[in-house]
Amino acid sequence: MSPSLQNLSGLDRVIHEPARLMLVALLSSVESADFLYLLKESELTKGNLSVHLSRLEEAGYVQAEKTFRGKIPHTEYRLTPQGKAAFDAYRKSLGSIFDAKKK
Amino acid sequence: MNTNVQIDSVLKRARGYWFVDGFTEMAAGGMFIVLAAILLLQGKVLQASDPSRFLSFVGVVSLAKLFGFIVVILALWWLKDHFTYPRTGFVRGNRVTAAQVLILIRNVILFLLLPIFGLLAVSLLVASAGSVLASLPVWFPIGVGLIWAVLCVLAGEWMGLSRFRLLGVAFLLSGIAAGFWQWAVGLPTLPADVQPGIFQPAVVEVINRALTSLGVLILISGVILALSGLVTFLRYRKQNPTPYTEES
Repeated sequence: MSPSLQNLSGLDRVIHEPARLMLVALLSSVESADFLYLLKESELTKGNLSVHLSRLEEAGYVQAEKTFRGKIPHTEYRLTPQGKAAFDAYRKSLGSIFDAKKK
Repeated sequence: MNTNVQIDSVLKRARGYWFVDGFTEMAAGGMFIVLAAILLLQGKVLQASDPSRFLSFVGVVSLAKLFGFIVVILALWWLKDHFTYPRTGFVRGNRVTAAQVLILIRNVILFLLLPIFGLLAVSLLVASAGSVLASLPVWFPIGVGLIWAVLCVLAGEWMGLSRFRLLGVAFLLSGIAAGFWQWAVGLPTLPADVQPGIFQPAVVEVINRALTSLGVLILISGVILALSGLVTFLRYRKQNPTPYTEES
């Protein structure tokens, strides 16, 4: 197996899933975002979004913070340092796969 | 859901979220219009007979900027809290580090200010200092329009907002229009032996005309910004007519 294909098999499967990849990408460019923003931007259903966010939380990539805005409960999500590192590593390994294919 | 994840466009969309509702452009446009009104209604700002008038003008503009900035920030917070966040969600922007600010300042100096000052230095070598000073009302608004255009286009590229590229082009054209208008009116003639010091009638005339053309540029740019913000706001409101609820 060529090294580039070995890289492919080593991709982080938590992030590799398209919906979670989008969520991690969204959270990587902001300090934090609430559930509604992620719902609107990802166009996922509420149930799907909850499941994917829980999966990212379990992996330690995303941290949820529950607060109140006035009397309304408000949950903000942010990438943990571990999540940022995993996303950077994912982008690098994906890039190296395509660079190797070009050569 | 669109499963084709374009990471770069997702990143850009998140960066440009602050401008999604058009409020910021409308507020900035309004502030530009107020500043232009102060500048244009003031008449001749610099007067050889009354130098203190210029100082009081600078004070008025500084106060207008300070109060305007505070009012704009408070209004934007309130509007976003009551209109935008209930519709499309809340985002806390990334904290800007000191290193990032230094890189930005370095890039602005290297790629924007140095070429402009270089051009100015070359023009001083090619033409006489008097003619460069006399044509200040022409090249000053064009230079300012160019700087705004470059910053706007770069910001548009960073945030994936195509309307910012159009705004950049509009700022540049506004600067050219203001400069061309001053050129069409006719440039003031300076005596061959311009002495140091700005309170000579001919130099005062040049500076007043440059400030007027700058005022026109700020006014046109403010109107363009406000219109762009209004169109963006109307589009946003059409797409998100009501706040999000559990049932929607």
